[in-house]
Amino acid sequence: MKFVKPKDVENLLKNLEEDKGKKYFLAGGTDLNVQIKNGIIRDANIIYINHLTELSGISEENNIILIGATTSIMDILDSDLIKRHLPYFQRSLESFASPLLQNTATIGGNIANGSPTADVIPLLLVLNAKVELSSKSQCRLVYIKDFFTGYKQNVMKSNEIITHIIIDKNAEKDFLTFYEKVGSRRTLTISKVTLAGMKKVSGNRISQIRLAVGSLSEFPRRLFKVEDYITDKTLTEIDFSKVENLLGKEITPITDLRSDKEYRYHVCVNLIRTFLNQ
Amino acid sequence: MKQVRKFDARPKLDGSWKFLDDYSYKDMIYGGLFYSTVHHGIIRKITFPVEFNLTEFTIVFAKDIPGKNIVPEPECDQPFMADKEVFHFGQVIMGVAHPSKEILKKFIKQIKVEYEELPAIVDVKECLENEKNAFGKEIIIDHRRNVKPEKGWIRTHSVYYTTHQEQAYLEPQGMIAIYKPEDRIMFVRGTMQCPFFVKDGVEAIMGNTIKEAIIETSEGIGGAFGGKEDFPSLLAGITALLAYKSGKPVKVVLDRADDIQITTKRHPSRVEIETYTNPKTRKIRKLKIDYRLDAGAYQTLSPVVLARGVLHSIGGYAVEDVYIRGRLFRSNTPSNGAFRGFGAPQAFFAIESHIDKIASHMKINPYEFRKANILKFGDEFPTTQKITENHLYDCLERVIVKSDYHKKLKEFSKFNKTLKDKKGIGISIGYHGGGYTGSGEKLLNSEVKITIDKEGFVNIFVANVDMGQGAHTTLAQMVNETLEHPLEKTIVQLPNTKKTPNSGPTVASRTIYIIGNLLRKLSKKIKDELKFENLERFIKENQDKFPKEYRMHFTPDPSAVFDDKTYQGVAYKDYSWAACVTEIYYHADIYQIELKKIWNVLDIGNIVNPKIAEGQVEGANIQAMGYALSEFFYKKGYGRIQGFTDYAIPTTFDIPEIDIEFIHTDSTTAKGLGEIPMDYPAPAIRNAFYNATGIFIDEIPLTPERILKTMNKLPQTNTDDTQT
Amino acid sequence: MGMHLGFLFPSWGLGTRYRKSVVKEKKMKINFILNENEVSIDVDPMKRLLDILREDFGLTGTKEGCGEGECGACTILLDGKPVTSCILNAIHADGKEIYTVEGIAEKHIGKLLIDCFDETNAVQCGFCFPGFLVSSYYYLKTDGEKNLDKIKKALSGNICRCTGYQKIFESVMMACVRKS
Repeated sequence: MKFVKPKDVENLLKNLEEDKGKKYFLAGGTDLNVQIKNGIIRDANIIYINHLTELSGISEENNIILIGATTSIMDILDSDLIKRHLPYFQRSLESFASPLLQNTATIGGNIANGSPTADVIPLLLVLNAKVELSSKSQCRLVYIKDFFTGYKQNVMKSNEIITHIIIDKNAEKDFLTFYEKVGSRRTLTISKVTLAGMKKVSGNRISQIRLAVGSLSEFPRRLFKVEDYITDKTLTEIDFSKVENLLGKEITPITDLRSDKEYRYHVCVNLIRTFLNQ
Repeated sequence: MKQVRKFDARPKLDGSWKFLDDYSYKDMIYGGLFYSTVHHGIIRKITFPVEFNLTEFTIVFAKDIPGKNIVPEPECDQPFMADKEVFHFGQVIMGVAHPSKEILKKFIKQIKVEYEELPAIVDVKECLENEKNAFGKEIIIDHRRNVKPEKGWIRTHSVYYTTHQEQAYLEPQGMIAIYKPEDRIMFVRGTMQCPFFVKDGVEAIMGNTIKEAIIETSEGIGGAFGGKEDFPSLLAGITALLAYKSGKPVKVVLDRADDIQITTKRHPSRVEIETYTNPKTRKIRKLKIDYRLDAGAYQTLSPVVLARGVLHSIGGYAVEDVYIRGRLFRSNTPSNGAFRGFGAPQAFFAIESHIDKIASHMKINPYEFRKANILKFGDEFPTTQKITENHLYDCLERVIVKSDYHKKLKEFSKFNKTLKDKKGIGISIGYHGGGYTGSGEKLLNSEVKITIDKEGFVNIFVANVDMGQGAHTTLAQMVNETLEHPLEKTIVQLPNTKKTPNSGPTVASRTIYIIGNLLRKLSKKIKDELKFENLERFIKENQDKFPKEYRMHFTPDPSAVFDDKTYQGVAYKDYSWAACVTEIYYHADIYQIELKKIWNVLDIGNIVNPKIAEGQVEGANIQAMGYALSEFFYKKGYGRIQGFTDYAIPTTFDIPEIDIEFIHTDSTTAKGLGEIPMDYPAPAIRNAFYNATGIFIDEIPLTPERILKTMNKLPQTNTDDTQT
Repeated sequence: MGMHLGFLFPSWGLGTRYRKSVVKEKKMKINFILNENEVSIDVDPMKRLLDILREDFGLTGTKEGCGEGECGACTILLDGKPVTSCILNAIHADGKEIYTVEGIAEKHIGKLLIDCFDETNAVQCGFCFPGFLVSSYYYLKTDGEKNLDKIKKALSGNICRCTGYQKIFESVMMACVRKS
């Protein structure tokens, strides 16, 4: 196991350019250390990034909020800036693991690890967040909805690293929101089903809706087909069997040690219904 | 009844109290277990990773055992290590030790074994449904009285299932062994409940190579709940063998993933009950129980769990005609073992669920139905043991009043008519026989010792450990009720098989009930003999009389006779009694039960330390809640849970309000408490769910997945409210 | 490729070239403040922080219950915040300030909490309590309102199997009252 501690971001990016092999970034370490312990990661190169202050912190720039990749979940929960502009995002993150893990786990780590159960991602999906990927030569922005390509697979190149998460300041403005993470207990739990939702209602009509789910497919995703169907309908116009049908096409829940696919599916249906009725 | 603080609380809080892993010895090396990863198979080839130098490792196999390769247990059928064939996942194949913990871990992870795999039974139902899997001695309690079911009587027949439960003590299993060749003594320190069991284990594996094994517990024992009753014997044996072969002190502390996967669990059960009830008198007239436990690959202590299970399986009811059959079933999973309740939680889940089912068939309130059948003075157990008090009934009456049961029934019924989410309330009653079953205590012949030294210290020597239940504080209190000595000078010594007499294992709710009451008796004897007013002054003034040693054996009540063959007679001299009401909230969207409140009313005789007693009830209630709602270890087709991430022990946010009341505390006997509050809550939660939704589920845990599955199978009918 | 051994004759060393088994690691100097003392250690930067505290500094009050951050028995304060040291590495301590239970037990609020946990007979096996003490200490320092929901939340990363938490809540509530 090779261990690298770059002295700054420039040094880090240079390093990434040179080292083409498999590597892991160590920030909070909450996922990485468990994977090392369980032997999932062996003899890999570790690049420590938690000390790079450029990658940490929450700031605003014109109409966007920038969250550094190594910002801890607790820093987001404690941030006044987030509270002012993205209260739904902040409130929902309280169900993230436990306060002890919130203090070390980072937002970038949760994205990079890319677990289907990742707590942060469904929220970022409905908020239309962007991920800033940096390499020595360029910096590009990828919508979180386009970031994942498969189970724990993403569009990051071997010379890139997540540097910021970018959310529009007005992302929540005028939206009615919903968030439910269902686990086997109330804290310290891994999601069996997560639904994040944002909608705008004018009169009786749902003029805009965004739905994102966790633990229901190989990576958390938006339910675009369901959204399209619901948009511009009133509650009475919505045929729920149609919603269920479309949902079935968008998610691929599995049965595992934690839960059953039928359960995951039915809970998702129930939660969507509850959100629509709210 | 005194509010005395625990003597070990402060050092536990500031981190100075030593648990097993906190001990280190000079030249100590680290040991680990390599175990089978197949459920059943023949070992064909073992391959060690090449990048390690094997001469640095100490490795022991079954063939290296100088003594017997059998762990001493009630049924001696489990080897310390597999020889050629493994019979379950997690069966130890070798012990390995190395000076570096890191290298040891990496080495063990890379050892490869080729097996010829053989057919295996790992699924609980597959094990328990097939009569061919029965093994060991069956137990029959025959109290048939020729009652013939009459026309109009209600027959109720159901099968109830429970699954594995992990003790989940926070401190993993661990042992340190040190061999002293000069006097051929094997010293073992460990986290354990039963030092003398461990002594037997170490002496069995080491045979004549050692003169004696001396076992001492670590200062702190980080929880046990039965999980450190028999597995420590196996672990200590292998650790001792590693110490013997390496010539160095060896410490083995299991990683949580290993601990959870290879150590004993609560037995899964299948209990089939058939009853005939006369609707006019509301009396259950005839009852038949088929009680089955999945013992795992070996019997070990399962026969004793089975005995307690069948003896508690009728629940707190008086039935004239009873037939109970109990059997163990073999599977290819690690041997199941002791866990708080010891067969009784499975028994009560079945009978208490069944009682609600009969009540529902008869369309009467579950409380009224219990009241009509509850054990009262003059009734008898199927063993013919007579009931001599109405305390169970008193518990039931009190808990109904305390919980405002009738009012809540009405309120919830109204609430449930209008809303998607539901509220429910449920009852259960239970009891727990104190001490070993039948003639067990007679055979144990427990002995305790008290010494009084010149410096004025009263030292109490018992083999029973303080694993968190506060036993050493409570036992000192019981001695001091008579001696009235300063508590800081009344000290229960750390159990050590060389220094403490064999007062038996720390199990079966017997520590306070058997050992505590025995110490009370010995203290009275001391006082009668010394005739002091004030012991401290007496010691000062009579220095020539000290040090002095007192010993006493437990003498069972000669009138309490039990026949282990026919299962007739007095199975337990004293019973603790309890009744419980639970209130739940059902979240319909996510099919999840939330326990809101639990009321306990218990008769455990006199209370030595009220706060410690409450703590036992609170902790056991929450374990029972986990048992009822969320904890499972194995899922067919998906394997076993490997750690605390998925093994869902309740956390601070999950827990309900807990209400506790002890009644009949003016008794002279302190009865058992450790287990009973674990025995009864699960069926009360299940009954509350029935009350809320009208759906019977006869299997725990009541996970949301199971609830959904059950609902999907049901014909779509609305809740019937026959219970209100 | 491994070395194949017949099951019946594990004769160690025969035919193997002597080579010392080593875990390849590059040591690094890590400096931090531990219970108010400046310390420095040459260590594999990936070594678990928990092991450093227990093995290299002998601070065995911090316990390992699960090794994956799920039980909280290994809770310490890292730069003032409670974290699980079993899934942190040596490198995470570099330049930081750490309090273990031993250090917290010496502080005024630590002592107050110990008194309260003691009075309620909350402690059972005690293995998880150093972790609870650290989390409770943080709660008292940063909030300290006598509010059951807040306390439950503050302690929600710590698991206890013995007590059912009731007396833990009672103790922390008691400490909140006494502190103010």
